[in-house]
Amino acid sequence: MLTIDKLCYYSRLRYVNAMEKFTYTVLTLVFCVASRSLLMAVLVLAVNGILTVKKGGIPFSQYWHYLMIPLAFLIISTLAVIVNISHTPLNAFAFPVGSYYLTGSYASLHRGVQMILTALSSVSCLYFLSFNTPMTDILSVLKKLHCPDLLAELMLLIYRYIFLLLEISSAISISQDSRLGNRNFRTSLKSFGAMASVLLIRAMAKSGALYDSMEARCYDGRLKVLDEQYPPKSREIIWIILFESLLLIYTVIKTLILTG
Amino acid sequence: MNETPILKAENLHFSYDNGDSHSLNGLSLEIFRGRKIAFMGANGSGKSTFFLCCNGIHKPKQGTLYYCGKPYDYSRKGLLELRSKVGIIFQDPDSQLFSASVYQEISFGILNLGVDLETAQKEVEQVIEHLEITPFRHKPTHALSGGQKKQVSIADILVMHPEIIILDEPAAALDPKHTIMVNNIVNQLTQDGITVLMSTHDVNYALEWADEIVLLHNGQVLMQGSPLEVFMNKPVLEQTNLAQPAVLSLFESLCKKGILDSSLPLPRNLDMLENYIENMS
Repeated sequence: MLTIDKLCYYSRLRYVNAMEKFTYTVLTLVFCVASRSLLMAVLVLAVNGILTVKKGGIPFSQYWHYLMIPLAFLIISTLAVIVNISHTPLNAFAFPVGSYYLTGSYASLHRGVQMILTALSSVSCLYFLSFNTPMTDILSVLKKLHCPDLLAELMLLIYRYIFLLLEISSAISISQDSRLGNRNFRTSLKSFGAMASVLLIRAMAKSGALYDSMEARCYDGRLKVLDEQYPPKSREIIWIILFESLLLIYTVIKTLILTG
Repeated sequence: MNETPILKAENLHFSYDNGDSHSLNGLSLEIFRGRKIAFMGANGSGKSTFFLCCNGIHKPKQGTLYYCGKPYDYSRKGLLELRSKVGIIFQDPDSQLFSASVYQEISFGILNLGVDLETAQKEVEQVIEHLEITPFRHKPTHALSGGQKKQVSIADILVMHPEIIILDEPAAALDPKHTIMVNNIVNQLTQDGITVLMSTHDVNYALEWADEIVLLHNGQVLMQGSPLEVFMNKPVLEQTNLAQPAVLSLFESLCKKGILDSSLPLPRNLDMLENYIENMS
């Protein structure tokens, strides 16, 4: 089982209505990106952290680990915004390099931090949804939102097949290891190629068998399945409305101040 | 017997590659309602191919299949009707379970029968309870153990209430505990009057469980008869790579040594043999 998959199946927020979680995630994400505010980013990061770790029961170390994955990428990409090469030093910092300066202004520093925090808080929104909502629940939300059947069914089958193919590739990899298939770079490349070709053939065979089994159960071209229902709770809805209203008011005020 | 067979195969031929080699090579047999039939034979003898023909997944190149006396109708409507009556549980549950959740998976078949959501929910809940799936009903299918996957794959079919259930090596790759569990489910099915066709290599289980044994060899029926008739025929067992059940071998050996009376009825399980030995004194 993939770690993210395991986390969401053991999360204490798993049985919270999926539409509630989806709505919370999408609205919070939109406000975060729209306002680009440091304060809002910090608030959203904190709220999502509390919801995922404290309420959901996801271990803090794991949450932190996943949050750090995009951080390295963000810092590197934000450096281009913060650091300038110029003849004249800017107000925040300046390191002389020959006749030039590696320099940055307070404004660009502010913009860089703002970008990092906005991106991190947006990622935390998506983590909140994916750490606390199984894929099947997300798919049922998409169906309710009238996402095309074909797309939802494809996502369902792809999701199922990720695990099947991972299982097969893991078994093949172990079998290759046991016969020194990864002894050096050359054999590793060869083994990987062999595994990829076998995986393709197996995937084809498995999909044929799966289609047969679906046909055997009167499949008529549409994947009709029941969704488990977790009814929404009014208390949770009120909290979501309050929080999103706060974000909305803040976003509107900030926009008015900026445009005014 | 004047009764119409629930399933009849007449001179079936089937080939996977359209070539000369046939997986089914003139297979003919009759199966009557409510019977427990064990299909046995070496690997490649045509058991799984025959099962897929029974469900209409494969159409025989030659020959005819009859359901309740009527030849199979291979139109879309005919196949849907047939498949609502003849359910098949595949050997590898991973080839059967397509959905990411147990609940969704079980609901697939019954919703395809066109029942309303409320009835489908009720039926799914019933089968979940009946097959003791409740403890893992919220798990994703890829996180289930082999035995649990098999339970779910049986539930997939059971929820559709078919008249015939085909089990392709249901105990394959299962540990003894799960094998017993699957066997108990099969016993329940037969008590409910469902016709059960099962392929197995377990001669001891087949002797005790089946009403009839069908021995397949090279895509043909080599022998069809009661378990005792089949398992006492050593040449056909040898031809199909099968051994005699342990209880019959032991009984024969004890009779030869004069320990047991050879006029006693042949035992079908260890309990019967144990009774014979107990009653000796």
